[in-house]
Amino acid sequence: MTDLSPAIRDAARRLLSDGLVDVVIGFEAGPIPLRSSPCFARDAAEVERLVWNMSCENNLAKYLPRRRERVGVIAKGCDTRSIVGLLREGQIERERLHIIGVPCRGLIDRRRIESELAGREAIDVQEREGEILLRGDGFEIALEKEHCLHASCRACRSPTPVIYDTLIGDPVAEDMAADEYATVREFEAMPTGERWQFFAAQASRCIRCYACRNACPLCYCTECFVDSTQPRWLSPSTDATDALVFQIMRVMHTAGRCVDCGACERACPVGLDLRLLTKKVEKDVEELFHYKAGLDVHEPMPLSTFSPDDPGDFIR
Amino acid sequence: MEEKHSHWEPRIVAFLCNWCSYAGADLAGTSRLQYAPNTRTIRVPCAGRVSPLFIVRALMHGADGVLVSGCHPGDCHYLEGNYLARRRFGLLKRLLEYVGIEEERVQFAWVSASEGGKFAHVVAEVAESVRALGPAQRLIRARDQEGAP
Amino acid sequence: MRAVLVAKDQMSVLLEALLQDHEVFAPVNDDALVAFRQVDSPQQVLLDYGNSTLPPKGLFFPQTETLFTYSLERGHLVLKEPQRASRSQVLFGVRPCDARSFTFLDRVFANGNQCDGCYLARRENCTVVGLSCTSPKATCFCSSVGGGSFSATGSDVLVTDLGTDYLVEAITDKGALLVESVGGSREADEESVRRKREAEASAEATFRGAIRTEDMELRLQEMWDDPFWDRLHEKCVGCGVCTYLCPTCHCFDIVDEGSEQRGRRLRLWDSCMFPLFTQHASGHNPRPTGKERWRQRLMHKFCYWAESHGEAGCVGCGRCVVNCPVNLDIRQVLNEIESLSKRVE
Repeated sequence: MTDLSPAIRDAARRLLSDGLVDVVIGFEAGPIPLRSSPCFARDAAEVERLVWNMSCENNLAKYLPRRRERVGVIAKGCDTRSIVGLLREGQIERERLHIIGVPCRGLIDRRRIESELAGREAIDVQEREGEILLRGDGFEIALEKEHCLHASCRACRSPTPVIYDTLIGDPVAEDMAADEYATVREFEAMPTGERWQFFAAQASRCIRCYACRNACPLCYCTECFVDSTQPRWLSPSTDATDALVFQIMRVMHTAGRCVDCGACERACPVGLDLRLLTKKVEKDVEELFHYKAGLDVHEPMPLSTFSPDDPGDFIR
Repeated sequence: MEEKHSHWEPRIVAFLCNWCSYAGADLAGTSRLQYAPNTRTIRVPCAGRVSPLFIVRALMHGADGVLVSGCHPGDCHYLEGNYLARRRFGLLKRLLEYVGIEEERVQFAWVSASEGGKFAHVVAEVAESVRALGPAQRLIRARDQEGAP
Repeated sequence: MRAVLVAKDQMSVLLEALLQDHEVFAPVNDDALVAFRQVDSPQQVLLDYGNSTLPPKGLFFPQTETLFTYSLERGHLVLKEPQRASRSQVLFGVRPCDARSFTFLDRVFANGNQCDGCYLARRENCTVVGLSCTSPKATCFCSSVGGGSFSATGSDVLVTDLGTDYLVEAITDKGALLVESVGGSREADEESVRRKREAEASAEATFRGAIRTEDMELRLQEMWDDPFWDRLHEKCVGCGVCTYLCPTCHCFDIVDEGSEQRGRRLRLWDSCMFPLFTQHASGHNPRPTGKERWRQRLMHKFCYWAESHGEAGCVGCGRCVVNCPVNLDIRQVLNEIESLSKRVE
């Protein structure tokens, strides 16, 4: 399995030295094992820090809106769909953007790995074909990569970038056999009361830190509805009702725009199953309006358009 | 607390578009049609004006049910408002049901200015279906606790 | 102060005794996380855990707190304060970093003539039982900021795992009362003190995440205009994870909500990382971008607090490091600041 980091560094170095961009946004090794961290490289020395591996879990499209510099950005498949969305919404100029697309084989779920480690700490982690090798004080374990993949990456529909200026690495085929909405369907099949209990319990754990919202490239509003005071739609409190309303209204605001990159769920410090909501709305958008976000810069946005034949059976 | 519930009548917030549904409701009145008194009407320019936040906030603040009514497709005074609303409400209805809010709590209708009878009929049906569900408990903001609104 | 030994398999007996007389809050498994919750049986208590995701400060300083409710009853305004806990409480199994953080919060909320009644009542009603860290995590750095894995600061009782037994030491008078009430234990002897010291030395030796903090406050004072701040905040997405998970963060917002008939006043956690935190009614914001806000966070913890109280306002628990969505590591930042200011010297 090739390590794409050197090729990424080459591409970044060239972009900067040719004066095509002012900054390349990528990833550097995190201060703690199993993590990486966004890196803003502006010179040759900083480029040396760029890495690429299964812990590159942030959606770097987050850093693109309202940026005045010319930017190079490292983007996984899902990230490029977010970029298409941002281009569609006029939040970035295509001419000031150079996309270094990287076909992605999936991100590891660090919480799953933590539970496998059961209290032990990994000092070193290495990716191998089909395997992840973890080394720590007095132990070494190999985990099956499939088992450690983040849920958002399991039935990924866009591992290969859909838009790019430079492509690093070989395209990755999507697993069309997997039902990307399987978990949502399971949930839909539950009785209403049980679903309510689940979501009420989830909402009571939300601490309103907004890591989900702030990790999302689409949440770029200068004033979020949660901060509105005239009227005050909901309280900033952690009362379960307010927390649940925050969650459902956030997914309504990203409806038809969300590409299920999973950054929100990965950012949540208390491990809420946020994708149960985002994926549900994505499924409904596809079923009702035959639309998938982030694939075509020119297609009209589903909630800004209509068809005379739109489903309306639910209306008396 | 018990007394309150035995005399409980569903409180339904009705967002009615100015040009069609509100006029239709007015016609029901001028025609002296008897219909369930459970709705509290909020007049909006167009069904497309209704943000999902309005609907959710109504539930948070004590509404047992919400009705949104607009012009029939093709008849919107602003040409497209009701079409856009149809898409938005379709998504919202599915999402609310998914998180466990009973389906009948939030309902939609197309009522034209000449459909006084339909309006009365819609209100009756909505009120009945909400009555069968009982008082809304799920998205409510601590109504009986600590004096929240 | 009295110290006793409790055999490993007898700890549940001690916890049972506590449950008889007190409401007990302890670390428990909460799905995949560890959280402080009220327990009703010793089996729920985790005695061997890293640390909780959320710090236990919520027991004294809840994230959402009703200060009072109001209602109009027959034309009269009725104000009601929420009921205080009727039984005394024990916060069991708190790590030394978190216990130490309570002394920091005391300086804000229970400080002479600036006393928060709600906070003080909860503090006074609770006995804090600390649990020494025999295996600190790689992200822990308490000893770099004036704490220690076996520190007793902030604990009324300190429990230390000695392998076969727990050493249970009374630290304060409040703690001594608790230790007295525990039956069936043996007095601790010289041997157990020695074993504790050994365990402490071995724990301290494992620290990998040390940071250099000498003269941090002086360095920061000189760095206000340094271009370093322009780059530092770039990756920060501006959420509130670091502040809400921080044991020493204590900023809050007061919100009134209600109608003419009834309502309540709430105190809610707030975060200096949110743009609205310093937004003025005029529209002016003295901390308009992430740069000013990140600088403020660092200054508050390591400069202003240190100036006022003689020690850094951070207890080194490492939660912000572990949970930051972009893995922005405050230790790295402090080390960078130290190197930067050394370059200038």
